[in-house]
Amino acid sequence: MSRKKSKHEFRANTLPAMLTVGPVTLIMILLIAVPLLYVAVMSVCSLDEYYNVTFKFTLSNYTRLLNADYIKIYIQSIVIALVTTVLCILIGYPFAYFIARTKSKKKKILYMLVIIPFWTNSLIRIYGWRSFLGTSGWINSILQGLHIVNEPVDLLYKQGTTILGMVYCLIPFMILPLYTAIEKLDTSLLEASSDLGARPSSTFFEVILPLTSSGIFSGSLMVFIPCLGYFFVSDILGGGNSDVIGNLIERQFQSGNNWPLGAALSIILIIVTLILVKIYQKLGGDMDSLGV
Amino acid sequence: MKKKILSIIMAMTMAVSMFTGCGGGKDVASNGELNVFIWTEYVSEDAIKAFEDSSGIKVNVSTYSSNEDMLAKLKSESEGTYDVILPSDYAVENLIAQDKLEKLNKESLSNLANIDESFLNKDYDPGNEYSVPYEGGVACIAVNKAKVSKDIKSYDDLFDPELKDQLVVLDDYRAVIGITERSMDLSMNETDPTTLSKVGEKLLTLKDNVKLFDSDSPKSALIAGDCTVGMIWSAEAALAKDENPDIEVVYPTEGSYVFLDNWCIPKGAKNYDNAMSFINYMLSADAAKMNIEGFPYLCPNKAALEMMGEDYINNTAKNVPTEVISGGEFLKYLDADTLKTLDDMWTKLKE
Repeated sequence: MSRKKSKHEFRANTLPAMLTVGPVTLIMILLIAVPLLYVAVMSVCSLDEYYNVTFKFTLSNYTRLLNADYIKIYIQSIVIALVTTVLCILIGYPFAYFIARTKSKKKKILYMLVIIPFWTNSLIRIYGWRSFLGTSGWINSILQGLHIVNEPVDLLYKQGTTILGMVYCLIPFMILPLYTAIEKLDTSLLEASSDLGARPSSTFFEVILPLTSSGIFSGSLMVFIPCLGYFFVSDILGGGNSDVIGNLIERQFQSGNNWPLGAALSIILIIVTLILVKIYQKLGGDMDSLGV
Repeated sequence: MKKKILSIIMAMTMAVSMFTGCGGGKDVASNGELNVFIWTEYVSEDAIKAFEDSSGIKVNVSTYSSNEDMLAKLKSESEGTYDVILPSDYAVENLIAQDKLEKLNKESLSNLANIDESFLNKDYDPGNEYSVPYEGGVACIAVNKAKVSKDIKSYDDLFDPELKDQLVVLDDYRAVIGITERSMDLSMNETDPTTLSKVGEKLLTLKDNVKLFDSDSPKSALIAGDCTVGMIWSAEAALAKDENPDIEVVYPTEGSYVFLDNWCIPKGAKNYDNAMSFINYMLSADAAKMNIEGFPYLCPNKAALEMMGEDYINNTAKNVPTEVISGGEFLKYLDADTLKTLDDMWTKLKE
C-alpha cells in the first residue's frame, strides 16, 4: 500500500517537478555553482616555484588583499563607482521621465535610442570615444577650428575620462528601471498634489521622487556593481591611471599569472555585491526589477 | 521517428570516423596535420599558407597574447594538444626547467645556418637544444622630435620631470620595472629586497610622467599625438615612424631590454616530424622575409636580411643594430616571492 502510494506520489509530484525544474537546476549547477566553487577553491590554493597552481591550502591570498596599496585601489574604485552612479541618476532621471511622459510614437523612438547602442560591442564604442576625445580627435579639431583654443585640450587618460566612459556604458541600466518606475506612476496623484496647492518642486520631491525611489535604487545597484569591474573602460580611457577592482583581477589572471590571488579578489567582489544586494532588499527593493 | 533518430546517429558516427581518418596518419592522401600555438599578430599568414602548400600538411593555428597565457593553456590542455609553440626567452627557460619541451632534432634543421650566430646559444637554452630563434625586439624609446626639445638618450631621461604627462609606456610590469632597474645600472632580474625597495622608490617618480599604459597598440597614441615620448617595442616604434617621420627611435645608453621568441616543441607532441619541418621552413629565408615584412620585429635570419632592400637595412628601428642586442639584457624567470614584490611595486604605481 505504502509502496503504491509513494509510487503514485512520485508520478504526481516528484516526476513533473524533476522534468520541469530539473533542466534549469542542472544548468544552474553546471554554469553557476560549479564555476563559483572552482573560483572559491582556487582562492585558497598556492603557487609552486614555476607559478603553477597547487592544491595546498593557504589563506595568504586573502591576507595579501589587506595590503594598503590594494585598499587604496578599492577606495579609488568605489569613488569612481559612486560618482558614476550619481551622474547616471542626474542624467538618467530627467531622460527617463521624459520618455515615460511623452506620447506614444515618439516614446518608442526614444526608448530605442537607449536600446540600440547595446547592439554594438561596448569595446568598440569605448574605442570610439578614445579617437573622439584624442588630441587630434573631433572635439579638439572643432575647438581649434573655431579658435576657442589654440593648443589641443588634454581630455584623454584621466580619472574623469574613465568616469565619462563608465557613465556612457552604464546609463541604460539606470534609465530602464527608472523608466519602469516612472511609467507606473499614477497621474491622478500628481493632479491631486497640484489641486491641493503643492508647487511643482514640492510635488516632485514629496510625491514623484518617493514613488519612483525603487527605480533609483535598482538603477543605482545595476550601475554601481558593474562599475567596480569594468576594467576595459579604465584601461582604454583611463590609460591605466585609474584602475578599478576589475583591473586588479584581470592583471592577476594575465600578466601577474597569479590565479589564486585573482580568485581571492573575485570572491571579495562577489561578497561586496551580495552585501549590496542584501542592503537593497532590506531597504525594500524589489528583486524583480534587478532582472533576477 | 525512431528511424529518423537512428539515421542521424549513423550519419554522425560516419562523420566522426571520417574525421579520425583524416587526422590519423600520413598514409592518407594529405600529409597529416600540425597544431601550432603562436603569438597573435606575429607570424605571417602567407608564410603558413606557403608551408601548407609545399608540404601538404594542414596547419591549425591557435594564438595567445602573453607568455603567461601560453604557459597556463599548455598546463591545462592535455599533452599533445600542440605541436609547435613560440615562447619568449624566459618562458623557454621555465619550460626547460619543468621538463616540458622535446629536444629538437638538429639534423633536420638544414636552415639553421641562416640564423645569425649572435642569436644562438643564449643563457636560457645553451646549445639551442630545445629552441631556435624566430624574431625578437627591444623595448626602445620613441620620441616625437617635433614636440620634444629634450635630447632623450637613456631610460633614465624618461624620469625627467620635464616630461610630465607625456609618456606612453608598455602596460607590462616586468618591462617598466625592468627599465627602471636599467636606468639605475642594475639588472632587470634583481631579487635582493633592499635593492628592489630602492627601485620601487624610483619607479614612483615615473608616475607623473606616464599618461598612458598600453601594450596592445602604444603606437597609436604616438601617431595621434596624445603622447610625445614612448617606451615601446621596437616594431611598434618602427611602424609609428613610418606613419609620422617626426618620430625618432632611440636605443637607451644603459643597454636595452631585449627579448627573443623561439620555436619549440612541447613534450608529447603528436606530430613531431611535421613540427620539425614546419620549424625548418620558418627558418628559411623566404619565410623569414614574409614574416618581417608583415611584422617588422628584429630578425635573426641573416639570409632573409640579405634579400631585404636598402630601406629596411638602413632603418635602425626595423633592423636593430647588433650592438643593441649584444649590449641588452633578457628577462629571467624570477622566484615567486620576487614576482610578488614586483607586483606590489606595480600596484603602487597604478593606484
